[in-house]
Amino acid sequence: MKIINKIVATLMVVTLFSGSAFSQAKITVKGSDTMVILAQKWAELYMKNNKTSVIQVTGGGSGVGITALINGTTDIADASRPMKQTEIEKLKARYNTLGVEIACAKDGVTIFLNEANKVNELTLKQLSDIYTGKIRNWKELGGNDAEIRLYGRENSSGTYVFFHDEVVKADYSSNVQSLPGTAAVVNAVKKDIDGIGYGGAAYAVGVKHAYVKKDANSKAYVPTAESIAKNDYPITRYLYMYLRNRPTGETKKYIDWILGSEGQSIVVEVGYFPVK
Amino acid sequence: MKKFFTLLFLLVTGITGFAQTAVTDSLKEVISTHEGKLTALDDRVLVNEADLAKLNKIKVSGYVQAQWEYYGKDLVKTNEPTNTFYIRRARIKFTYEPADGVKFVLQPDFSTGNLSLKDAYAVVNLPFVKDWTLWAGQFNRPDYEVEYSSSQREVLERSRLIRAIYPGEREIGAKLEYIGSKIPLKFQLMAMNGNFTGANAKDVDSKKDIMARLVYSIKMPSAGLGIDLGGTGYFGGNRAKTNQYVLESNGVADSVAVGDYLKKQWFGAEIQVFADVLGGLALKGEYITGTNSTPSTIASSSTMAAKKADPNKVNNFSGYYVYLIKNIGQKNQFVAKYDFYDPNTKLSGDAAGSSVNYKTLTLAWQCYVNDNIRISLNYEMPQNEKSASVKNIAGVAGTQLSDNTLGIRIQAKF
Repeated sequence: MKIINKIVATLMVVTLFSGSAFSQAKITVKGSDTMVILAQKWAELYMKNNKTSVIQVTGGGSGVGITALINGTTDIADASRPMKQTEIEKLKARYNTLGVEIACAKDGVTIFLNEANKVNELTLKQLSDIYTGKIRNWKELGGNDAEIRLYGRENSSGTYVFFHDEVVKADYSSNVQSLPGTAAVVNAVKKDIDGIGYGGAAYAVGVKHAYVKKDANSKAYVPTAESIAKNDYPITRYLYMYLRNRPTGETKKYIDWILGSEGQSIVVEVGYFPVK
Repeated sequence: MKKFFTLLFLLVTGITGFAQTAVTDSLKEVISTHEGKLTALDDRVLVNEADLAKLNKIKVSGYVQAQWEYYGKDLVKTNEPTNTFYIRRARIKFTYEPADGVKFVLQPDFSTGNLSLKDAYAVVNLPFVKDWTLWAGQFNRPDYEVEYSSSQREVLERSRLIRAIYPGEREIGAKLEYIGSKIPLKFQLMAMNGNFTGANAKDVDSKKDIMARLVYSIKMPSAGLGIDLGGTGYFGGNRAKTNQYVLESNGVADSVAVGDYLKKQWFGAEIQVFADVLGGLALKGEYITGTNSTPSTIASSSTMAAKKADPNKVNNFSGYYVYLIKNIGQKNQFVAKYDFYDPNTKLSGDAAGSSVNYKTLTLAWQCYVNDNIRISLNYEMPQNEKSASVKNIAGVAGTQLSDNTLGIRIQAKF
């Protein structure tokens, strides 16, 4: 009988501890490829200082992250674009909330050109005409007599949607080559003298940043901390985290840390710009 | 001796040199073979990528709702079963997006005893006007509960009001839709045949029915609150093709000229409130009132007496529904719904005949097992207006029918 009592007591202690001291707070983060490096850095540093937390980060694109949030397979969806009305409707239908939007960084959608390209400056209208296929030759923009080769993102990408909604404002040309990630776009433009691409500022290594201006009479800017902070750079956007409900517990602690000085310093370190 | 070593050296280096040349040639051959194979693989990958890109434009989704229902005794006819298993819905939706801003949708339904076409439409983004789309084909009418998918709805069936005025939910026509990306506004304008779908899908008169819906969304993120406010209007008619007699809503017989249109017009107001209170909470409601008509189907060669006995009907109606939905954790949901429908607001009791009003309370529990499976427990408790025309299973008139229904549904969605 004493042995049984001991076994029961041991089991009770194990059960109690398994629910508290030994438990790990797991947060899953899924979504934007633009944000994946940033999200991984945040997770690494946070886990280093909070040993009981496990933060699992995966990319796939903003659309994939938001779908996962709706399906309940992620706690946080990273998105490089605001949630679409249709996505909010799905969230309402399943969880009866509008979701919670948290702007966690700023970014300038950068126009990548090959370093040998003579063109340095583009207006928003010219970018729209390039990506809708109205302007097809660099000669029309003061460059070489060569066909413009268009590189872009897949339609699950938030950058694809943001660039479509804010710059192209019409259907993309069928000649746009869709690539899986900003790194692939940068790489393609790096190798292609007649190529043009777009993507997050943090990835632009080995390519030239085009100066972008609102219209022919405006001043042109490249994305810098100053031009982004002042909203001078015409293709400035927020990077977001979305949740189903208002955060509580470990998730709230993690988000507060991201929005704090330590989290925001990582934003700058990775190549993006702080929210405030 | 020197000569011997020189000869041996020459022989060895010669053999080695020959061997090296042979190895180099062999390596070149291997590299060349592999280069060829890689080129062939490259070509195959390109072909596969092109095929995959085409396949990526096709999306297949769908759901199956397997259900068991237990009926109240007045819903069971003599020798009929008190309960049954059946497939409420079994739908596959094919969506093809050949280019940005162009979408084709086809959705058949294979539920028990019913093979029908639910959706068949094309949607295109209007050029030069952002956020506007044009729809053409067969699709849902623009109304909140109609457009709210059966796979998402928190109770097993739509409200009695909605089932009465929008039977089958779909219509054939064309729709202009605006969903604002900057302004939280939704506007829908639809022109349709107005005969519902199925056998009468092709129009039977030249006039088209028009329906419009406008919804404005208010967001209060700091309070975790969202409110959608909207209104609908339906403007149409049914043609009296064979019979000049009309029975008005107040029970008075009247007449029209054969060929005239009978009024079909109503207005509605809707509200949906979503609040983040210890998980999601929603309160949704819609009120609709107006005039509906039912054309007589009697043959034009029938006698006057027969025509009088089966006249065209024009009724004033009203109805509403209210949902209260509370999410409990991430997987469970409690639902209470109350709906009311009066098909004839001018008459009541025995004078209303079979057009009695119904008040229905529905209680439901949803369990989302995972993102594919949902189990629903649903108990529907209708209360009918008492009338001499409403009889229970024993033939007793003017009673409250025992017509509650218990339903358990398993839904698999992909």
